[in-house]
Amino acid sequence: MIDWPVDAAPAWCPGCGNFAILKTLDRAIESAGIDRRNLVLVSGIGQAAKLPHYTSANVFNGLHGRALPAATGIKLANHKLEVVVTSGDGDMYGEGGNHFIHAVRRNITVKAFVHNNQVYGLTKGQASPTSDPGFVTKIQTGGVVSQPLKPLALAIVHECSFVARSFSGDADHLHETMVAALTHQGGFALLDILQPCVSFNRVNTFRWYRDRVRPVGESHDPYDRAAALELALKWGDEIPIGIIYRSRRASFESQTAVLAEATLREQLASAGR
Amino acid sequence: MDVNVRIAGEAGQGVQTTGNLLVGAFARAGMHVFSSQSYMSRIRGGMNWFDVRIGDEELFSGRRRADLLVALTGEALEALRGQLAGGGVALFDGSEARGAQALPFTDAARQTGGSAVMANTVAAGAVFTVLGLPLDDLSAHLEVLFKKKDREVVEKNLLCARRGAELAAALAGKVEAPGTGGAPRDVCNAASAVGLAAATAGVKLVTAYPMTPSTAVFAYLAGVAEEYGIVVEQAEDEIAAVNMICGAAYAGVPAMATTSGGGFALMTEGVSLAGMMELPIFILVSQRPGPATGLPTRTAQQDLNLVLHAGHGEFPRAIYAPGTAAQAYELTRRGLQTAHKFQSPAFILTDQYLIDAQTNGAALDRSLRPIDLHVVAEPAGDYVRYAGASSGVSPRAVPGGGALVVCDSDEHDEAGHITEDVRVRVRQQDKRLAKLEPMTAEALPPQLHGPGDAATLMICWGSTYGPCREATDALNAAGLPTGMLHFGQLWPLNVGRAAGEAIARAKRIVCIEGNCTGQFAAILRQQGILSGCELMTRYDGMPFTGEEIVERIRS
Repeated sequence: MIDWPVDAAPAWCPGCGNFAILKTLDRAIESAGIDRRNLVLVSGIGQAAKLPHYTSANVFNGLHGRALPAATGIKLANHKLEVVVTSGDGDMYGEGGNHFIHAVRRNITVKAFVHNNQVYGLTKGQASPTSDPGFVTKIQTGGVVSQPLKPLALAIVHECSFVARSFSGDADHLHETMVAALTHQGGFALLDILQPCVSFNRVNTFRWYRDRVRPVGESHDPYDRAAALELALKWGDEIPIGIIYRSRRASFESQTAVLAEATLREQLASAGR
Repeated sequence: MDVNVRIAGEAGQGVQTTGNLLVGAFARAGMHVFSSQSYMSRIRGGMNWFDVRIGDEELFSGRRRADLLVALTGEALEALRGQLAGGGVALFDGSEARGAQALPFTDAARQTGGSAVMANTVAAGAVFTVLGLPLDDLSAHLEVLFKKKDREVVEKNLLCARRGAELAAALAGKVEAPGTGGAPRDVCNAASAVGLAAATAGVKLVTAYPMTPSTAVFAYLAGVAEEYGIVVEQAEDEIAAVNMICGAAYAGVPAMATTSGGGFALMTEGVSLAGMMELPIFILVSQRPGPATGLPTRTAQQDLNLVLHAGHGEFPRAIYAPGTAAQAYELTRRGLQTAHKFQSPAFILTDQYLIDAQTNGAALDRSLRPIDLHVVAEPAGDYVRYAGASSGVSPRAVPGGGALVVCDSDEHDEAGHITEDVRVRVRQQDKRLAKLEPMTAEALPPQLHGPGDAATLMICWGSTYGPCREATDALNAAGLPTGMLHFGQLWPLNVGRAAGEAIARAKRIVCIEGNCTGQFAAILRQQGILSGCELMTRYDGMPFTGEEIVERIRS
């Protein structure tokens, strides 16, 4: 009989941006003072979606594209849990695109960390919804024709309560932005994390991102929607990173009367068995 | 004896309001009531009708012919006059009509109540009078119905009912009504029975994308959400709805989605997720004829195969199919219990006919009695979610309770982490499927009605119970010994001794189903429960009636 290997180590390529994101997330969870017993990491499918297996937390690693609705159900069942989605550009903006739009509308307190490397990794190098036009793959042989999705702008237009972007190659910036997202209370938070894919994206490399990302200045007011939208639409020679936008919308759960006194889970416990 | 009153008109004319008014008033008079609806997929225009059948004995189905037709449009009168029973009376909302008694409900409502809206109250007053019934029970019902409105509204409606009675008193035709008294006053339909059972069992999250004919359950639960502490969320699509309840089930809260065939087709990947993660999700599937959009507002029993096979891979599930509103209440609670005991998806499979049909019966228990969730209260330090268990049921903890709970849609080890180790894969797959045996042992055997040793045996499931039961009684009364088996649980199958013997003794077995291919009969044959049978199918979008089954059994 063949002696089959048992998985233990991350299934990522050496040099993958996911290692830096994992390490920084672990640090940010500690910095934000989150009790891991009350933390649920929710993911779909893709390389980013494997992350919850490589750290210590409650894990719901569900279906491709469906992390957000599962996270919504978890948060509604027990809104005292800290619910964080770790997803990729395909999982969140492609397969799960409709849920992304509606999660922004719903504004439930779920934090979405999207590892955005502009390419499909797990399926070996096809275009993603954020691939730049002209990006050539074995499927898009003549280059990508469709416009890339602009996740930050999409979220800002719908007054998402927290919109940020960071880069896996800048650990301090990423840590700071993750902590800001994790401690953001009352509403949906989007953190788009630019990340190189060493195996399948030879255009948007570590160096490509490093040379372009520019932290937003302290003078930027994230509550200024027009200014935020302008930053969110910038892509090319300069890519702004940092907290781009905040709104003061009340969270979904704070507007749900049934959740005012106790979580659904607590209500069930007090109702009987 | 029984009488069938049919109200027909365009969508938006108050067909349903009038029907509901009569159902409530007849039940208040202590008559047995069974109502059913036929409506088109539109908000205005077209032709809808609402049948209210009343009797001095318990009723279980509708009837083809009407004894009293109330036509609100000329088109309705033309289309349905031919289905009037001998000696029947047709009333028409107008000043003159061919072959019907003209009775200007709308004009009378304007003159008496000051609004055309009350035409249905005028019509109800007229119906009571044609049936030779005093107005007391109708008036008392109107008082209750409008008790939250201004006194003026009540008074105007009482006047309109009386005006309808006066107009009808002058008419020639009369229909003899069944005796009053004796029947319970509480009226419900399967939609409210499923909803109430879910609410009282402790369902805390209900999600759906609205779809006829399941929306009535969603709406019922929204109506009682505050009373029972339920979050009701309209999802962006059915995929979101099913994944939301998977998340809630993982977090330790009973959760339910409501849908119909097309919407359920979108949920199938989520059903498979619940199978893999071993989550107790509960889904109501209210059937209508397909394929695709099909006949959106009609009835069918065509999605049994879909629900039985929904989701890729192999995993256990339980499917319940109530035959009455009372059974819908019992089976919803039982379905939720099964889902939680065996950490598996469970389904209520019903249809437009039963969801909308109203009957009177004993009042349903409204008290909150949460089911046992079978959750480990204090998990040990070395807790793992998918520990080996001979029953297949691993102890289930929920996040926030002290232990970390890891669940994966990938094949996983005992701790819930991704694995591609084939030995672990086989162990976990065997563990999941091991649940099928205890689930089968607990499955409800079919109910036998009529003699257990009859030469003719009818087999039905779900909403066909009522028509089949009436047919069984009629056939036996006519000297044709006939038995009937009704399956309220369709999967897993546990036939039981009494039913097994009835099947063995029968010379002629007829499976009666609201589809073309005999889906349940095929399952019974595949499971070795039947060797062969006749099929009686109906798939025009309308329900079976008892009299139709009698005719087709005899032909």
